[in-house]
Amino acid sequence: MSRVSVVIPVKDGERYLAELLDALARERADEVLVIDSGSTDGSLTIARAATGVELLEIPPQDFGHGRTRNLGAERTSGELICFLTQDATPAPGWLEALHAGFALDERVGAVFGPHLPREDTSPAIARELDDHFARFAPDGEPALQRTGDPTFLSNVNAAYRRACWEEIRFRDVPYAEDQAFGADMLAAGWIKAYHPGAAVLHAHDYGAVEFMRRYFDEYRGLRATTGHVEAFHPLGALRTVRAETAADLRWMRAQGRPAGERARWAARAPVHHGGRRVFSALGSRAERLPAPLRERFSLERRDDAGGLAGATPVPPPAGRRHEPHGERELYADAAQVLRDGPAELLDAIPGTPERGRLRLALVVPPWRRGSGGHNTLFQLLSRLERRGHVCSVWVHDEVGEIDDLWPAVLRQQINDWFAPFDGPVYKGFRDWHGADVAMATGWQTVHPALLLDNTRARAYIVNDHEPEFFPTSTEGHLAADTYRHGMHCIAASPWLRDLVAERYGASADAFQLGVDHAVYAPRADVARRRDTVVYYARHSTDRRAVPIGLQALAELHRRRPETRIVLFGTDRPPRTSFPYEHCDVLSGPQLAALYNDATVGLCLSLTNFSLMPKEMLACGLPCVELAGVSAESIFGADGGPLALAPLDPMRLAAAIERLLDDPAQWERRSRAGIDFVASHTWDVATDQVETGLRHALRERELATLATSRQQ
Amino acid sequence: MSATETDQMAELEQLRARVAALEAELAEQAARTERIVAEAQERAYWLDRWHLDLNTLMRKPGAAEARALVRAVRYVVRGLKKVKRTLIRRS
Repeated sequence: MSRVSVVIPVKDGERYLAELLDALARERADEVLVIDSGSTDGSLTIARAATGVELLEIPPQDFGHGRTRNLGAERTSGELICFLTQDATPAPGWLEALHAGFALDERVGAVFGPHLPREDTSPAIARELDDHFARFAPDGEPALQRTGDPTFLSNVNAAYRRACWEEIRFRDVPYAEDQAFGADMLAAGWIKAYHPGAAVLHAHDYGAVEFMRRYFDEYRGLRATTGHVEAFHPLGALRTVRAETAADLRWMRAQGRPAGERARWAARAPVHHGGRRVFSALGSRAERLPAPLRERFSLERRDDAGGLAGATPVPPPAGRRHEPHGERELYADAAQVLRDGPAELLDAIPGTPERGRLRLALVVPPWRRGSGGHNTLFQLLSRLERRGHVCSVWVHDEVGEIDDLWPAVLRQQINDWFAPFDGPVYKGFRDWHGADVAMATGWQTVHPALLLDNTRARAYIVNDHEPEFFPTSTEGHLAADTYRHGMHCIAASPWLRDLVAERYGASADAFQLGVDHAVYAPRADVARRRDTVVYYARHSTDRRAVPIGLQALAELHRRRPETRIVLFGTDRPPRTSFPYEHCDVLSGPQLAALYNDATVGLCLSLTNFSLMPKEMLACGLPCVELAGVSAESIFGADGGPLALAPLDPMRLAAAIERLLDDPAQWERRSRAGIDFVASHTWDVATDQVETGLRHALRERELATLATSRQQ
Repeated sequence: MSATETDQMAELEQLRARVAALEAELAEQAARTERIVAEAQERAYWLDRWHLDLNTLMRKPGAAEARALVRAVRYVVRGLKKVKRTLIRRS
């Protein structure tokens, strides 16, 4: 076992010194050094009388908390150097626990233990000690602290490995040399250990005023060593005093202290805690006070500014420590894919692409009611399931958006808000059990899907060109990266298919968004109005160009104040310069009724053509869309059932106005719309997606074949 | 085609058929498993909605006592109902 030296700086410490030295004899310390800096009480006599204790006397002016301890370490020879203050009495088992602390790891450079209150310790200090040390070992077991952990260390009761002390040494600071050592050693890569068994009885049993002056000294020292400046807000301080007093009284009750004692403390506690707040704030701003005042406030009668007087040098900023919020960084899956590549796919089994029943796993980001992309996905999945495929939904919640929603609730939401689904819903991939095809959907699901193992093929249902949703950003880059990992893309329009194939070299199929004709159809029972424009004003979706759409409607209102304008698709009514009716987020049947009632629909998309205009067309409602984006790839330059206009409020307003004023054009586009979407059903879309999934499997089969031929 | 080649082809066909059968079996098992999970989620809807994890709840101090109390009350109520039924029958 390592040899142990104990160093005790003393000045007028007769009250507990004999008890302390007796305890050290009981604990069998190998070497004890008392350094006295000018005691005038019986301390010297006690030290001289004790057996096996070496006494070193130094002039009071030579004392320094760091300097004197360095001297003590130099004058002793133990492999472990323990420092105790003159009023800290080791509890039985103290030395054994310190040894155990050092044995936890060879890089443990210091071990410290708790300070137990003495019987006469004031309740505030006793509770504070209890709470303070309980934090280091919540389970009551010894704990290790490394770089980034709390740097707390106290020379009231701490032991150091000599090699660590030699490397770090105590700073020559007037106060808080132990805290500085704690920070320095962790920064140097040493480990600190807390052992609950290495306890000492210790108390600063001062009167209320002495306490305040003690805090002044402590915080002046802390400012000098760590740069800490104690915040002070009068109202906050009052709240803290009230809370601390209540906590003291609760603690006293739990300790079984009599009611009379509790009542006495209730009267004294506000003075104690209030004084603490004020004097700790003053101590950490000591350099702003005049020297005589500093001397008066100091228990040690020191008038210095803790090394900050004069030019007031700025200490290195001490940041506030934040505890981890989660187990992983944002987009950790993407980082893993970029670092290690995707997980290996299973070898293809001949015949799988043609098999009737496939195991399909749909990986989706969290949704909200009214989410168009999710509607598409669940319409497709619902039909794939009805065709006999084994379907499951896997929700990847990157930022904890839906932490409060459990799987059964998510499953019910799919059924209530989107489409019937009988399969299970999983949150995260803890229960991942493989699939024939793992289908990524939103860009944020692609990298997690690439890491899924036990999978035969991967496909990517591309609802839109998502890199365009972001400005220059991490998200934009990662969204673009999703097309570059060899996933077979199944894009929600020919325009989108061509884009991912040409720009990213991805293999791709296309499907046409379907329309639920049971819901969206012309209704003979609704008399269509001739003065109503309905606008999908979902301003939370940037690609919908809502500010331009609203400008177009403002212009329309200026030209035709009598035209009725109805906005829908958002639960937050946008602020406009014109009057309108607002309809929130509507259900399918409500939308169908609205489209049958209206004269012209307005729905803009700056990227892929969306489902909304198709549903308007299915109800016989001609619609205005943006020219020059994706609609022409479906409808041709004339727009067919759509009136196309550039991203210009005046021209959009003119296109709406023409449809309102020209019955022949209105009739032609209305009829063309009904004819066009007649063949666009979810069943047809599901056929196309199923073909795409089988293509993904076939591509995998060909890749496996090519690999086996090479071998 | 030689006899050996014919045998090899036949064996290959057999193996393919076996793989297809195993794949079908795997798909069937997966379907059954997913159905069981989905049915459990269907039943657990209100527990999930109210964030109730009964296993965790029943591990809390006092949970076993509360359950015992409910059982005791139920026992007494059932006993009283039985007595009431007997009395009604006799009258």
